[in-house]
Amino acid sequence: MANKSLVVEAQEIKLAIDLIQLGARLQFLEAETSLSRDRLIKLYKEIKGISPPKGLLPFSTDWFMTWLANIHSSMFYNIYKFMLQEAECSPIDAVIKSYRLYLEQVARQGGEPVLDFTRAWTLTRFFDSKMLQQSECTRCHGHFVAHAHDPRHDYVCVLCRPPSRAGKTRKSAEKRLAEV
Amino acid sequence: MSASINANVGEINELNLSYLLLAQRMLREDMPSAMYRLGLSKEVGSVLSSLSLSQIVKLAASSSILCRFRFDDHAILSSLTHDNKEQALQQAHASILLSGQTVEEMH
Repeated sequence: MANKSLVVEAQEIKLAIDLIQLGARLQFLEAETSLSRDRLIKLYKEIKGISPPKGLLPFSTDWFMTWLANIHSSMFYNIYKFMLQEAECSPIDAVIKSYRLYLEQVARQGGEPVLDFTRAWTLTRFFDSKMLQQSECTRCHGHFVAHAHDPRHDYVCVLCRPPSRAGKTRKSAEKRLAEV
Repeated sequence: MSASINANVGEINELNLSYLLLAQRMLREDMPSAMYRLGLSKEVGSVLSSLSLSQIVKLAASSSILCRFRFDDHAILSSLTHDNKEQALQQAHASILLSGQTVEEMH
């Protein structure tokens, strides 16, 4: 580590800053940069003004299947796949660029980002390890996040066939009342 | 009649010019994100971003519109516009369809 290039180090710090600003967790920063844990904690405190949250990364694929989470995950993953395959970005650049575009879209739609940065990154890892797949909706032909090995032949997405209780949260009920 | 056609062609030229200038600026600022927003391949993106102003002006002078409508499936277009879904959901759906579509159909 003694003769590590200053330029490389500066690039890694820049990357870490971008990631912290997007809401990355410490484990993620450790995996994606070669900066020491102490330096990352210091950087985190400097940018966020608080200590990084402790605790494990989410590890269940089920979260991505609930109604609104599935819509947001599918939005993000379609952009990510474009960045990777069409724009030929590196995986980390693809995550950063697609997550920014996802945030922008959600903001323009007047919604809240359901998918946080850590979950977005975990999502790409689940695809890498073949725990998730994209299934094509037989009605709209959109590609949606699904469990690996789920049958694909008569798949209909959560937007073409929303579950009956979909979107009927207390918040949306209040919003509807306010509009009347 | 011919006056209105002339006016339309004039507007098409303006649309082409705005489109090409906007596309070029976006591509030069951030190639991957611009490719995503425009639905363009890397090859087309690089050519567009390297065009000179006079090349852009010549290209824009066509009497046909140079950018293509991306919802070219009538069934999908009508389901996106006629569904009485919340606007946010409709936009989310449109976004999923557009980003998935470009990956497949650009080749």
